[in-house]
Amino acid sequence: FLGRAAVAKLRVPKRYRHPALEERLSRRRMAQEARSLLRCRRAGIPAPVVYFVDYVTNSIYLEDIVDSITVQDHIYSVQKSGNDTSDLHKLAEKMGELLARMHDEDIIHGDLTTANLLLRPPTDSLDLVLIDFGLSFISGLPEDKGVDLYVLEKAFISTHPDTEAMFQVLLKTYAATSKKSGPVIKKLDEVRLRGRKRSMIG
Amino acid sequence: MERTHRLELFPERSVTLLLFQHVKNAAALRKKAMEGSMEGALINPAMIVDPFQILVAANKAVHLQKIGKMKTRTLYAEIIFSLSPSNNISDAFKKFGISDSDTAVLIVLVVDGDKNVNLADITSQVEGQQVSLDELPQLTDTAKVKKMYKVTPQEEKIGTLLDSVVCRMSTKDVL
Repeated sequence: FLGRAAVAKLRVPKRYRHPALEERLSRRRMAQEARSLLRCRRAGIPAPVVYFVDYVTNSIYLEDIVDSITVQDHIYSVQKSGNDTSDLHKLAEKMGELLARMHDEDIIHGDLTTANLLLRPPTDSLDLVLIDFGLSFISGLPEDKGVDLYVLEKAFISTHPDTEAMFQVLLKTYAATSKKSGPVIKKLDEVRLRGRKRSMIG
Repeated sequence: MERTHRLELFPERSVTLLLFQHVKNAAALRKKAMEGSMEGALINPAMIVDPFQILVAANKAVHLQKIGKMKTRTLYAEIIFSLSPSNNISDAFKKFGISDSDTAVLIVLVVDGDKNVNLADITSQVEGQQVSLDELPQLTDTAKVKKMYKVTPQEEKIGTLLDSVVCRMSTKDVL
């Protein structure tokens, strides 16, 4: 895009939706994404730069984090080669710290998975970047933050075997970094007891 | 010396940037641009961090022109408006357009297709020296830009000034 590596996110119209709803939803999701990305950047939370927002085709052009790999792929490769604990421990700490900062800005990602967290090259630098804010929104409620973490926990455990310890490290760092973490962790425990909780927002 | 870039999203348009230093007739140029007798957007290079910034503004302006949703009256005015983080048109002109006392001017032209850019026409009207766009970083007033776009210190750690500027430009109308 104008000389810089970019990613174009086009919202594929879901034909099963009523057109009016489709239009509204696409527009809203796109706006939410752009808003959250800007908010993240202003707070110093690594996220792609927005280059252009097209309200006609409901597409957004973002910075392409070149040669990055998803945390998901990284965990796979580390587990395959077998040097588990130390590397992943540090990564979990960084993740916890990043999420704590994000939640402290009242930004709820909405779709936290290891595939939505990128590592800039060189991978060892543990330079994380958050992506895919299409389902994100702004909220100060511990409930929403707890759910955000719960989604990540579920994603973690289902995609990566034997990572319970890693997630614990993440939570510990989260609690240590975020000033408002107490109520959030409490809510997370509550949500776990409830079972699979679906966020009712948007 | 000047630089031309094709807009990928609007392949029939290209944007040309020209930079001039030691300009003596800024006042006259501004008048001509306002009257419409001169082609191009006349921009204050101190507020520009990188040509990419201009391209992003031009891209947005062309897009809005195509769908008939420009906020200003001409494409060139729209480019200047797109550069500004504020929604106030006259403010945009004041901060990003040239003022009578400016000695450096950045001129932006948008042309259709491969129509030959009439550079000689433009350069002849400027009483100044055309320089390469590589000189642009020297003319940038970083402090002013930071203040204008309200760049936070945390932001500077995760990206360049250009990143912050472009992000604000593109999400101006979302919030």
